[in-house]
Amino acid sequence: MSTTFDAQVTAIVFDSAGAVFALGDGSVRFESGERADIHGGAILCAVLHPSGDGIVTGGDDGQVIWSRRGESGLLAGADNGQWIDAIDASTGSGLIAFSAGKTVSVIDAADSVFRRDFVHERTVSGVAFDPKGRRIAASTYGGAALWFARIAQQKPTKLTWAGSHTGVAFSPDGAFVVTIMQDNQLHGWRLKDGKNLRMGGYPSKVRSIAFLSNGNLMATSGAQGAVLWPFIGANGPMGREATEIGYDEGSLVTLVAARSTHGVLAAGLNDGRVWLADPAGQGLNFLKAEKGAAITALALSPDARRVAWADEDGQTGVVDISAP
Amino acid sequence: MTDTLSGKIPVTVLTGYLGAGKTTLLNRILTEDHGRRYAVIVNEFGEIGIDNDLVVGADEDVFEMNNGCVCCTVRGDLIRVVAGLMKRQKPGAPAFDAIIVETTGLADPGPVAQTFFVDEDVKAKTQLDSVTALVDAKHVMARLDDSREAREQVAFADRIILNKTDLATEAELVAVEARLRKLNPLAPITRAERANVPLDQVLGLGGFDLERILDINPEFANPAHGEAGHVHDEHCGHDHHDHDHDHHHHHKVDTVDSVDSFSGVRGHSHGDDIKGISLSLDRPMHGAKFTAWLDRLLGEQGQNILRAKGIIDIDGENRRLVFQAVHMILEGDLQREWGPGERRWSRAVFIGRDLDEAALKAGFEACAA
Repeated sequence: MSTTFDAQVTAIVFDSAGAVFALGDGSVRFESGERADIHGGAILCAVLHPSGDGIVTGGDDGQVIWSRRGESGLLAGADNGQWIDAIDASTGSGLIAFSAGKTVSVIDAADSVFRRDFVHERTVSGVAFDPKGRRIAASTYGGAALWFARIAQQKPTKLTWAGSHTGVAFSPDGAFVVTIMQDNQLHGWRLKDGKNLRMGGYPSKVRSIAFLSNGNLMATSGAQGAVLWPFIGANGPMGREATEIGYDEGSLVTLVAARSTHGVLAAGLNDGRVWLADPAGQGLNFLKAEKGAAITALALSPDARRVAWADEDGQTGVVDISAP
Repeated sequence: MTDTLSGKIPVTVLTGYLGAGKTTLLNRILTEDHGRRYAVIVNEFGEIGIDNDLVVGADEDVFEMNNGCVCCTVRGDLIRVVAGLMKRQKPGAPAFDAIIVETTGLADPGPVAQTFFVDEDVKAKTQLDSVTALVDAKHVMARLDDSREAREQVAFADRIILNKTDLATEAELVAVEARLRKLNPLAPITRAERANVPLDQVLGLGGFDLERILDINPEFANPAHGEAGHVHDEHCGHDHHDHDHDHHHHHKVDTVDSVDSFSGVRGHSHGDDIKGISLSLDRPMHGAKFTAWLDRLLGEQGQNILRAKGIIDIDGENRRLVFQAVHMILEGDLQREWGPGERRWSRAVFIGRDLDEAALKAGFEACAA
């Protein structure tokens, strides 16, 4: 499938029925053709709804909206219409977390009254649930804060490291928190002892990270190829070298997508190409070989059988990957 | 006004303390019939009443990148807001043509400007056009006395709007202008009442565009109007200041002509910590010597140097070397050729805090070929 939208695609999510595109004109477009015009401005972030049905989007209109095919509803809003900058959700706990300014708010997909607001000293740049959906990590300038998602009154666990952290993720085993940093590197903490991990050497900003192969590998964008960090054993990547696959001097990997329960990796490039690879195998399978505008959104389906992408000009594609 | 060659969104920064007339000017820009659509970034605690569809609050989140290198102090909120705004841009049908950033009277203009040179995403999508400082003719003297930020905003600007001139006498205005010019000899001063300045004196100035460094007159810097510019590389960091020229010729020295630009009226009884220093030389410079001197100067004193611009006559080179700097961020390039009847001379202006004029002059002149 290939469609061109007249607005930028800011995020792609696979739900139980197919690919869902979130756009800069405030609309959500489903692969099956349905469309929901829901936000007053641009959609800034999106995540799969905990039920597995539909997409939850955060907009620059300060609203968090759940859209399914033929139905949309407001879930929450930010104070005084602040931008919703980041969002995450957990199928495990059914919780949704989003950030607006310095505040991370947690809501429950199954309980419309439940809401927790956690205020930080600096603007929050990213939010991520742990694998069980019980704790939430928020990245800010100076590090990350860990909160118990359901507790109203608490002091967060602070993971500090000087610099501007612009995104955050948990490793699939919940043992590590990794942040993306403004200055072309990653930082990590081993939670059991707070030990620091520095992962650098990138020629450009790292925009996305994804875990694959049972969490044994963390893939990132930001280099001429996809960078793979080993996360094996209690030490994770400490003292180990990263490898790079799909290296191409003339281009940069802007986005990666993977599933921790599968072994394949999808990558989107700044020259418009998209490839899929199995790091354990050989070669790259170019899903989109022709060059064009930079890839700005990329997603891999939960069964790792379908890939969806979008480029800066609004061109999108969804392909089925033939059985290996 | 749009930088059509690069396709980047031009950004205009308006500085000035509360009551200087920023909101009045902003509303004039937004409502005048020019067919352009603006996105406006305001301070979240700033003045209200801005007449525009797309107004975004920013929270002045200043931080140092690259392990505390001062030249990489940027505004994290601007990085975030610009990235978010760009998501509204439709392919082939932009949601807005330009961005205006309104800062508070307490904002340091350095990190605002540096954000547009240092962050790779912001740099890829936008181009800083100019910084305009609004000052209020009646109160600016007191502000300059007691506020370091007020002095820095004036010193940093590409254009100074001396507003509310109807509330001051001619003698007061002359004294104010003399002091403003001493703080910033590069920025033309435009008098205005109720911010009624022609918009082409605020928008599309190309204040950071090397192609538009047309003339630097140590006596008085004239407004530079010229062709729209093109993309140029920025270099940040102490180690990689760069120029694309290299010369190793030696010539005999004829005469030395340095101009003392500040023989005019002193506007105030005491000197400001910030001032503009103008340097000039009527004989060719040694290219390698000059760039080495400039690199070292910005590396050592870039923290105190707010802005610098220069046109240099390089020995053995028919083209003019132009440069501009914001703190330690330097851009330099060989520009057009010297005209046949044109006076070939080197001149540069450094605006900064606690600068040693004699040392600068000596260093500059020692670069003679």
